[in-house]
Amino acid sequence: MNLLFTAGFVFVTAIVVLLVLYSRLQKKVEQLKQFHTYTERDVTFSDQIIISKRELETVFDAISELICIIDKNYRIVRVNKNYAVSVGIPIRSILNKHCYQVFKNRSRICDKCPAKETFKTANVATQKTVSYRCNDEVRYYELQTFPVFDETGGIIRVIERIRDVTEEKRFFEQLVRSEKLASIGIMTSGVAHEMNNPLSGISGIAVNLLQMPEKYGFNEKAVSRITMIADLASRATRIMNDLLHLSRKHDQANIKVNINTLLVKTVNAIHLEGITETEYQYDLENSLQPIDCDPSKIQQVIVNLVTNALQAIQEEKSRCESIGKEYKGLLQISSCRQKEKTVLITVSDNGIGVPEKNSSRIFDPFFSTRPTGQGTGLGLSISHKIIEEHGGKIFFERIDGLTRFSIKLPIERKYNV
Amino acid sequence: MEKMSEKQPFRILVVDDEKAIRMMLLDYLENKYEVDTAENGKAALELLESKKFDLVISDINMPGINGPELLFKIRSLYKGIKTALITAYNIDDYIRIAKDYCITNIIPKTVPFNFLELDSIINGLLTSNIFGLSRYLSENQMVLEKSLICSSKDGRELRESIVENFETKFGTSGDMKLILDEIITNAIYHAPVLEDGTEKYQEFSDITLEPDEYIQIEYGYDKEKYGVSITDYKGRLTKETVLYKIDRQIAGEGLLDDSGRGIHMSRLFADRMIINIESNKRTEVILINYFSNRYRGYKPLYINEL
Repeated sequence: MNLLFTAGFVFVTAIVVLLVLYSRLQKKVEQLKQFHTYTERDVTFSDQIIISKRELETVFDAISELICIIDKNYRIVRVNKNYAVSVGIPIRSILNKHCYQVFKNRSRICDKCPAKETFKTANVATQKTVSYRCNDEVRYYELQTFPVFDETGGIIRVIERIRDVTEEKRFFEQLVRSEKLASIGIMTSGVAHEMNNPLSGISGIAVNLLQMPEKYGFNEKAVSRITMIADLASRATRIMNDLLHLSRKHDQANIKVNINTLLVKTVNAIHLEGITETEYQYDLENSLQPIDCDPSKIQQVIVNLVTNALQAIQEEKSRCESIGKEYKGLLQISSCRQKEKTVLITVSDNGIGVPEKNSSRIFDPFFSTRPTGQGTGLGLSISHKIIEEHGGKIFFERIDGLTRFSIKLPIERKYNV
Repeated sequence: MEKMSEKQPFRILVVDDEKAIRMMLLDYLENKYEVDTAENGKAALELLESKKFDLVISDINMPGINGPELLFKIRSLYKGIKTALITAYNIDDYIRIAKDYCITNIIPKTVPFNFLELDSIINGLLTSNIFGLSRYLSENQMVLEKSLICSSKDGRELRESIVENFETKFGTSGDMKLILDEIITNAIYHAPVLEDGTEKYQEFSDITLEPDEYIQIEYGYDKEKYGVSITDYKGRLTKETVLYKIDRQIAGEGLLDDSGRGIHMSRLFADRMIINIESNKRTEVILINYFSNRYRGYKPLYINEL
């Protein structure tokens, strides 16, 4: 953060210098024009000045932050293109207006205006976050003001540097939130573990009492009350289990794994009928970097995808047999590096495919096209969840008659909280 | 169970620092056994000096000496004594410790506590009568079928029919299809080996097993669960291998191992997995799913070896 600030400061100082130079150059051009004693030499000189002016204008506009220069009356003297774009008003209509009117749509100077402070103290001033409503979306800015001095050392202008910190702010908020969640998660799982012991005692004793009431001398009324105790203990456990389930992400293993070995081993280990009649094609990129993952989870996803593919092949096979068409099952498995930090894994088959109308629902829990009992319909939704927890993506598409499931996994694990 | 009625009852020592848990187990177990309790390892060792026990059931986390250490010590002091751990914590976290202390039975403290399962496990430990799915089904509600697999074709057909059976009866077969695939394939193709140790049959090839290589399958259900048992007579599993494999899989180290994945997956996908081993004679894998999810909780560890 400090570094960022220093960098920003240096950067803005550079702009200040450029602007001062620029205004002087402009003055010079005016003078030259007035005296119009054009000689050969003068023309070249003024050309140079014009070029410099253009250069400076370009630099000014190229700055991604919003720059606004105001005079002592808070009237805008100059803005860069990005400023105009952000406020959505053409530059020509901005000039000579009050900065607070243009930027905040106010009729009076803003509270805690840093420019005011800069005019007063000649120091650089900062206002951390300024909210700004733009097309129904609130954006946040950081405002910094820098003084511009005249020859006598008085402040004639103030430069406002306005940086959009909306994303930064949101990211930070998310970070705080996820850290909070993470610590709640860790705490929850600890508490849930600890609670299990007393709860098993409570319910165990209650069950004993219910099963042998005569041993304890209990009547019917007591038994009905004890049933409540047992039920309540079960309910408390369900709540605990739900909480545990939510916080389980933090229990995940995280190991660097060669994804190709994992693919081959897993696919080889799947025992399904018809497997021998299916052609397997591997296209695995050598020297893939090992990826951070919970291998048993990823294995589960691969098992899901390959089993689905083989089932689709089986179905297509019987369909083709029934219409007397020749068919040979094909299963393609590939891995490759994608971009800098992602690995792409695909499982493709020439099986019966996913009907268009179902394609948006296949990742929904309990959505299954197979007859009841064959598959819970949870495979793909669990896979989806697992891949999301790994900070990756899973999607499906139809390419050249093949149904293809693709998984993108980051090489370095990012936790999704 | 037959033994108790006529002869002296078995003696069980329950060690748990939580009084309620001690009383809960005492109340239940004293109907059938002679039960003592101790609140920590030290008290347990003292009791053992003065009294003979057949089985010690201990909690894992206790002040002073912990459960695994205590049981290890007890077994070294009293030959033939049976031991089991009981815990409310995630048993997967203790598999390595179990492996190190060679503990093969860890009973989960579920809510509600599963007394019937405790009964079956304790009975198996005490009587060494460990085989058979029926031991885990309720005597008066049980429906049980038995079949033999003599060829790869039998294996396929039986698997399909068991899964279909469960599905028509219960509307689900859980992940039994996957697990049965795995376990039956193992029993058919990986268990029979040639003299030089290489596998006799090629995976997925159509084969007929030799008369002494048959595989016995039991499947059945009672009111609260359904299950399958697969027994082969050529398996060479030992409890150490099973523990080693499960531990490696849980730790993520066993990923590239050529075997062990099936056992791990079965344990993961079924509510209960019980492995019974009679050294070099037979290996039985029992897989059980409960209809209700109230006993799901943490996966126990049940490996018995005669």
